[in-house]
Amino acid sequence: MGLIRSIKKDFNTMTWVLIPVAIAINVVVGEIVVLLRLPVYLDSIGTVLVAVICGPWAGALTGLLSNLIWGALIDPNALPWFPVALFIGFVAGWCGRFGLFKSWWKVIIAGILIALTSAVVSTPIAVYLYGGITASGSSFITAFLMQTGHDIISSVLSTNFLVEPVDKITTAMLAYAIIQGLSIRYISRFPRAENVEVGKKGNTTTQIIIAIVVAAILVVVAATVLVTMLAG
Amino acid sequence: MRNKLSFYIDRPSPLHRLNPLTKLAVTFAFIIIAFSAPWYWTSAVLFVCAIIPIAFAGKIGKEFIRAGINLMLPLFAFLFVMQSLFHPGGDTVLFHFWFLSVKAESISFAFLTTMRILVMVSSFLLVLLSTHPSYLMNDLTQRGMPSTLSYIVTSTLQIIPQMQNKAGTIVDAQRSRGLNTEGNLGQRIKALLPLIGPLVFGSLVDVEERAVALEARAFNAARKKTSLHEIPDTTWENVLRWVCLILVVVSIGSNIWLS
Repeated sequence: MGLIRSIKKDFNTMTWVLIPVAIAINVVVGEIVVLLRLPVYLDSIGTVLVAVICGPWAGALTGLLSNLIWGALIDPNALPWFPVALFIGFVAGWCGRFGLFKSWWKVIIAGILIALTSAVVSTPIAVYLYGGITASGSSFITAFLMQTGHDIISSVLSTNFLVEPVDKITTAMLAYAIIQGLSIRYISRFPRAENVEVGKKGNTTTQIIIAIVVAAILVVVAATVLVTMLAG
Repeated sequence: MRNKLSFYIDRPSPLHRLNPLTKLAVTFAFIIIAFSAPWYWTSAVLFVCAIIPIAFAGKIGKEFIRAGINLMLPLFAFLFVMQSLFHPGGDTVLFHFWFLSVKAESISFAFLTTMRILVMVSSFLLVLLSTHPSYLMNDLTQRGMPSTLSYIVTSTLQIIPQMQNKAGTIVDAQRSRGLNTEGNLGQRIKALLPLIGPLVFGSLVDVEERAVALEARAFNAARKKTSLHEIPDTTWENVLRWVCLILVVVSIGSNIWLS
């Protein structure tokens, strides 16, 4: 009974109306990122947003439908990855429940947790459906690891651990920045408004700048690790 | 940014007239058989002898091939080259190239994977080309799927084009105010927030109003909702769906039995 009540709590009319908008945010922000040629995807900001203010079940549903709709409208190649999107929403929701979306440095932890989940869930899909090499550019790292004698699973997994954090931490940060920009009155209409503290301290601009700096540092770190790996 | 949303092509054909659930069942049967059947050539045969004829029977052959080439050719070229070069194992070396070597086993593995993905993506493509998303939702709702889910899907289909237009306007507006969207990486990262900020907040504002409007129209009512369109379903389609299920079970079973 606890489970059903927990699921039901996530969904009120505001949730049902927010989910389509969140999916559209995923799609359109994803397109803007492609337009700007940034080295990230940022295609789950809406999912994380729903997960935090509506709960893990709503987040999982948003991720799932977002992926299915992405596959149906833009690229059917996205369809087999639906479990990844689903778990991103689910884990982001639990991060919200445990208070990880209350200040910007906790959001980084949430981003890392989401990234780890996404890496673990996408590995079996990449291995069993695609034999390890997928359409993304990071497959060169996988190929390199496979060539240097690692087996497929560990190559794919370490590639994902290398690539995912940058994307998912930035995603979580942007979702946090969006939540900080909303009014208390607005957020309080969603089922899990208690997951966030709006307008507590500091202003949004500083936090966004910090977020960008952190993301930039992570890009540099990931690049350094990559270079050392290629050299060693 | 993107002119045409959804792959759907409206055209009278036997494939278009099929019940959406039948098409989904056949699609999933194709995919599971392609990935589970023990015979090496299964997916290639499925593609040539089933998927391509179905596309032409559905009068969407031309669009099917065009969309297939656009979506899959670059991916497959990449997959095939990468896998034949890097797939570990195998010792029948065909030729050397710099420090890389191409092995017969890698080539056969690459062929298997690309054929399976081809079956997967192209059979989804068949459904998407011949079925309007809201038609599919309508059918699933009549079969007992919660109507809130079909609300999400159909309203997303309406919101995305609106938001794409809005995004286009915002990109133009910010560019005309001097925002650099084509500079170096730093400048492009800086351009991200001024673009997505107005877009996201603008679209979140509408949410509250829409929720009130829906509540006023008994969105949460627990009674069964009636539908304007009845979607036809025939006995033989029902039989066909059961046949699909049996084929899938046989395919998975033979995979387990033979391994």
